[in-house]
Amino acid sequence: MGARWKGKGSEAIALGDPMSKIVLQLQSSLIQSEAQGLLCGCSVLLAVEAEQVDLLNRACFGKLITTAEKDKKWFQLGLDEAFYLCYSLKCLKIFGEDKCLLNDEDLWLCIKSKKAMFPDFYRAYSHLRMKNWVVKSGNRYGVDFVAYRHHPALVHSEFAVVLTEGDGDTNGRSKMWSDIHCTTRLCGGVAKTLLVLNINKMVRVLFLHLV
Amino acid sequence: MEVVRLESCLGAESDDETPHGQYTKDDDEEEYFYASGSLSKLQPRKVVSKARWNPEIEMAEVIVQKGSLWKTTGIARGGIVCCSIEEVLFLAEIGALLLLDDFSAVISLEDIYTKVANGKSGCNWEHFQAYKQLKSLGYIIRRRGVPWSLKGVNGGNECVSSKGSLESGLLDLESEDKRSIIEMFSGMQINEARPVFDVYLPNSKFRKSAPGNPSFVICFTRGHPPFRAELEAVERQCVGVSLKFCHVEHGRVSFFSFDLVELPVLP
Repeated sequence: MGARWKGKGSEAIALGDPMSKIVLQLQSSLIQSEAQGLLCGCSVLLAVEAEQVDLLNRACFGKLITTAEKDKKWFQLGLDEAFYLCYSLKCLKIFGEDKCLLNDEDLWLCIKSKKAMFPDFYRAYSHLRMKNWVVKSGNRYGVDFVAYRHHPALVHSEFAVVLTEGDGDTNGRSKMWSDIHCTTRLCGGVAKTLLVLNINKMVRVLFLHLV
Repeated sequence: MEVVRLESCLGAESDDETPHGQYTKDDDEEEYFYASGSLSKLQPRKVVSKARWNPEIEMAEVIVQKGSLWKTTGIARGGIVCCSIEEVLFLAEIGALLLLDDFSAVISLEDIYTKVANGKSGCNWEHFQAYKQLKSLGYIIRRRGVPWSLKGVNGGNECVSSKGSLESGLLDLESEDKRSIIEMFSGMQINEARPVFDVYLPNSKFRKSAPGNPSFVICFTRGHPPFRAELEAVERQCVGVSLKFCHVEHGRVSFFSFDLVELPVLP
């Protein structure tokens, strides 16, 4: 199953405006404005300017919080997204709940304390993002992530991603055939292919199995 | 044999499948904007209420009340309306409330987010997401265990903090309120799952002095669906009230109820 573009011209728009370029623009804009995020529960809140709202939307990071504030716009980022901007793209500094700047290691430990499976999730998230796939939460479909070839307004997501780890299973899933049937049935119903991403701690290589 | 029926409800979008294998409507495009241009803008408000933050009780005391929203927001406390951080943040986000400090300086949205982030005011970000979702749909919500109105005469003797603890001298409570406070304390033990918000259906005739029983109670767990033992413990705490378990992830708020059913014997 290949890409399902939404409407005429979407594929051309996507080709003319590659995701790698959009993410680079976002990265440099955030570096220039010395962007700061506030760790808030399992989200990171980010105050940005109008130009950055556009870049965040086009690069598919986070979600705009509708507020009445005129001069600042607020975005809510997931932990994967925020950590990616902070650690992989180095364009965001994150402050803790006590308003102290968190270095990468402290941030990692802090997030892990909130979400024990974050390391595996983050490996998968960053692996896909570095290949310029757009990665969003899969909770709407009962999977870990959904992956898009470009912006979701232009293309339907191709993959519903489920993580497994080593020989076992990160999320307690795929232990029974009924799990596989359940997930593939749902994915088939929404025209996605189930991608089982195996994270192997020893070798640190991801094998992609298409189901 | 008991069966637990699991259902998702309350405003979560449904993925309805056609039975013939055709692709369903893909909801991915909700809220995604590729072309430049910001999302829906809030209309600027002409009438804005004001409240002063009181750090001793971790609540805001309303000093200027505008609009009918106060019929269903805040608790009445010796003639003053006090609101919790989630109520403050909801109203501040939509521009209906200005929060001031002791020097009458405006507390910025950023500082209000920080208050939620550090959790001292008794509401974390995930709880706030649930509150905001329900409030936006028109439901009436209060923290479980916090009475809508306190009839104490002397404001100095009373203290209802955001955690629902009471100072002595605060005895003039309705029995329903006492029971809910006891429930709340007994719930604050080993249980991972706990009831957090009482929710009432939208009601233009709602009165804080006689709110009646909530239509349902919102519960949170610690990162996993409730185990059966947790479910039963919360049911014992909240006898006779419908429970809904909330899951917040990546900005998406879902509510689930787990109901015990007896399947009929079919002919």
